[in-house]
Amino acid sequence: MGPVPDAASSARPFVPRDPETFYKAQKRNRRATWRMSFLCLIATLLMGIPLTLVLTPLFYAGTMVVAEIVNYFSPLPPEFWQNVNALGQLAVKVGDYVINQKGTLDPQSLAFGLALILLPGIVIAFVLWIGVLTLFRRGGVGGTLMSLNAREPNRNDLKELQLVNVIEEMAIAAGLLPPKVMLIDSPGANAAAVGTSPADARLVVSRRLLDDLNRDQLEGLLGQLIGSIGNGDLRVAFMVTSVFETCGLLVTLINSPFGRESRGVLWRILRYGFSRSSSQAAHAAEAEAVASLLSRSLEMGQGDIDRFFDAAEKSKSFWRKFLTFIFFPILFTNLAIELTLWFFLNVLLGPCMALVWRTRRYLADASAVQLTRNPDGLATALQRLSQDNTAIPGSVWASHLFVMNPKGDSSMSKGQQPTADQKQRMLLAWESTRPGGTAQGTLRPPGTPPSEADFARGMAEFRQTQLAAMRGDAQAISRLMAVGKAMGAFTGDIPNPADVIAAQRGDQAAIARLRARHEEKPHLQTTGLQAQSMLSFHPPLKRRLKRLDRMGAHVEMATRKMSLGATLVMVVLWLIIGPLLLIAGGAMLVAIAMIIMLNLMFLGLWLMLIHGIFWWLAHR
Amino acid sequence: MDNNIFIAGVIAAFILVTVLLIWSYNRLVRLRNRVRNAWSDVDVQLKRRHDLIPGLVETVRGYMTHERQTLEAVTSARAQAMTAGAPIAARVVAETALSGAVGNLFAVAERYPTLKAASNFTLLQEQLNSTENCIAFARQFYNESVMQYNTAIATFPRNLIAGAMGFSRAAMFAAEAGDRPNVAVKVTN
Repeated sequence: MGPVPDAASSARPFVPRDPETFYKAQKRNRRATWRMSFLCLIATLLMGIPLTLVLTPLFYAGTMVVAEIVNYFSPLPPEFWQNVNALGQLAVKVGDYVINQKGTLDPQSLAFGLALILLPGIVIAFVLWIGVLTLFRRGGVGGTLMSLNAREPNRNDLKELQLVNVIEEMAIAAGLLPPKVMLIDSPGANAAAVGTSPADARLVVSRRLLDDLNRDQLEGLLGQLIGSIGNGDLRVAFMVTSVFETCGLLVTLINSPFGRESRGVLWRILRYGFSRSSSQAAHAAEAEAVASLLSRSLEMGQGDIDRFFDAAEKSKSFWRKFLTFIFFPILFTNLAIELTLWFFLNVLLGPCMALVWRTRRYLADASAVQLTRNPDGLATALQRLSQDNTAIPGSVWASHLFVMNPKGDSSMSKGQQPTADQKQRMLLAWESTRPGGTAQGTLRPPGTPPSEADFARGMAEFRQTQLAAMRGDAQAISRLMAVGKAMGAFTGDIPNPADVIAAQRGDQAAIARLRARHEEKPHLQTTGLQAQSMLSFHPPLKRRLKRLDRMGAHVEMATRKMSLGATLVMVVLWLIIGPLLLIAGGAMLVAIAMIIMLNLMFLGLWLMLIHGIFWWLAHR
Repeated sequence: MDNNIFIAGVIAAFILVTVLLIWSYNRLVRLRNRVRNAWSDVDVQLKRRHDLIPGLVETVRGYMTHERQTLEAVTSARAQAMTAGAPIAARVVAETALSGAVGNLFAVAERYPTLKAASNFTLLQEQLNSTENCIAFARQFYNESVMQYNTAIATFPRNLIAGAMGFSRAAMFAAEAGDRPNVAVKVTN
C-alpha cells in the first residue's frame, strides 16, 4: 500500500544531517510568509508616498481646471474660492512644518493637512486596485496556458492514466477536490497550477514531464502543486500580480489622453470586463493579454506620452505643438510616476514579493512531503527536471506558477561533473544520431550498457564533429542539431549553427537573422512579472534540495566550500560595491524628490496660467 | 464612577468569554465534521475497490485458466469484505485480507507474459494500484484529521468545555499487527 522505497535507498543507514520534520518546516515557512508580507506592506507604503505626492496635485489641478470652467459659465459662490484659498494655505503650512521644521501647528490641523495632501492619491490607487481585483477574478493568471494546445488526458494511455490517478490520490491526501488537468504537448517538461482559488484551480502538465518521471517522482511533484493549491498560494499569486497590474493601469490611465495605444488598451479592458458569453479558455486568454499589455506599459520610455513629447519628431503640426505647450506639466507628472514605479518596483517591492513567493514555494515543498510521506519523490523529480529543458511556450507571464523555472536553473550544475546518468543519456543521444552504415570503430551490440571506452570514443567523435561544423560541414551541422533535438532542447531554441559560424566571421545577414530570432523567442526574454523584480521568483534548486534533505530525502549534495582567498575577494568586493549601491539608491531618491518638486512647481504655474486666462475671458 | 467602570469591566469580560466559547465550539464542530467526512471518504475508496475487482477477475480468467484457487480466494475475500459490517476492527481485518489476495493475484500474473502484454490488464492493474494508494491516502488524511481533533479537545483551555459539550475522542484507523490473518501465498505450477 502506498509507495515502496527501492532497495538501493534503504541499503545505507540513513541519518539526516540536520533533521526537521515537515510539520516544523511548514510552521517555519508560514512564519516566514508573515514576515515577508509585512516587509511587502512596508515597501508598498514607502512606494505610496512619492506616488501620492505626484497623483494628488494632478487630481487637485484637474478639479481646479474644472472649477474654473464651471465658474466661467455660472459663477461659483465666493465661499468656494475662500475655502480653496484656506486649504491651499493650510497645505503650504503643513509642508513647511514637515519639511522645513518651520512654524507650529496643532495636531488637528496637522492631521487634516496631511490627509488633504495624501488622501486623494491613496484613494485613487486603492480604487484602481479593487478594480483590477474584480476584473481579473474570473480569469486569473496564466490563462493562455489553458488555451494553448491544451488537451484532456487520454485514459487509454498508461502514463496519462497514471497522471489522472496520481492527481486524485494527492487530492484525497490533501482533503481537496481533484483539480482538472490539461496536458500540453511541448518539448519542455514542466507543470503549473493556475486559477484563483482551490475551487477553480487547474493543473497544466506537459507530456514530456510524464515521460521523464516515474510514478513516485510524479507523485512528489503533483503533491507539491496540490499542496500549494491547498495552502492558498493561488490567492497569494493573484494578490502579487494584482499589485503590479494596478501600477500598470495607473500608467495607462495617465497616458490615455495622449496616445492611441493606451486608449486601445483601456478599451480592451472595458470590453473584457463587460463580456459575459465567451468560453472559459478564451476568457482566460483575453485576461492574460490584457495583463501583459498593462505590464508592458510599466517599461520606461515606451508610453504614448513619451512619444507625444518626443522632441526629435520633425513633423509636428501646429496643433500638436500647441497641445504640447498646454500639457507640459503632465510630462513631469508622467516622468515622476514612471521613475518612482521603476525604482520602487524593481528594487523594493518586486524583491519583497519575490521573497514572499519563495517562502510559499518552500511551504509547498514541505506540504508535498506531508502528503506523500516520501521526500525522495520530490527531490529526485527536481533533480531530474533540472537537467532537462523546462521552457513552455506561452509561459512568460505565469512563470512564477511553475514548479521549475522555465528559464532553467543552473544553481546545481556550477562546477559539477555530469552524473553517470547524464553521461549515459548524452552518449545514447549521440549514438542515436550516428548516420547508418558508417563504420566508426566497433559498435556495441544493442542493449548492453556503455563502458568507459565507449564514453571516450563518443567524446572524441563529438569533438571531431564540432570542428567539422565550424569549418562549415553541412553533415556535421545537421548531426549537432539532431543531437540537440534528441536531448530534448526546443528546436526553436537552437539557432542554425551555420548562421552562428557565419556570424562569427562577420556575416551581416547572419547576424541580423540571429538577432531577429532572439527577439521573437518570448519565452527566453525577461518580460512579464519576472521583469519587475531583480530577484528571481523561483527559489534556487540547491536550497530547495537542502531543505528536502533536512526532511529526509536521500539527496547527494556536493558541498562546495570556497577557498579563503576567494571569500576574502568577495568580501572586499561587497565592501566596495555596497556603499556605492547605497549612494546610487540615495541619488535616485533625490532625483525622484526633485522631479516631484518640479512637478508641483509646473502644475502651480500651469494653474495660474489657466486662472489668468479665465479671468481675462471673464473680464474682457 | 468607580462602580460604573467595574460594571462595564464585568460586562466586557462576560461578552469576551461568551465569544470565546462560541468560537471554540464552532471550531470543535468543524474538526469533528472533518473527521466524519474523512471516514466516509475512506469508505468510498474501499467500496470503489470492491467494484473494480469483478472486472479484474473476468479479464484475468481467460488467461490464467489453471489458477482457479487464486481467483476464488480473491472473490471470497471480496465477499467477506463487503459483508464485514460497521465495527472498524472487523472491517480493517477483512480489507487487509482482500489487499493480500489481490496482491497474490498480481504476483501470480507476473508469470503470464501474454496477460502482462494485454493493454487492458495494465490499465486495470494501474487502476487497482491507484485505488490501493487512494485508500492509503484517505486513511492518512483521516488519521491526520483525527489527530487534529483529538489535540484540539485535549489542549487547554478547550479541554475544560469539550466534555461538557459532548465531544469525545475519535479512533484512528490503524490495523493492529496481531489482527493480520495469515495470507498463504500459494504458487501453483
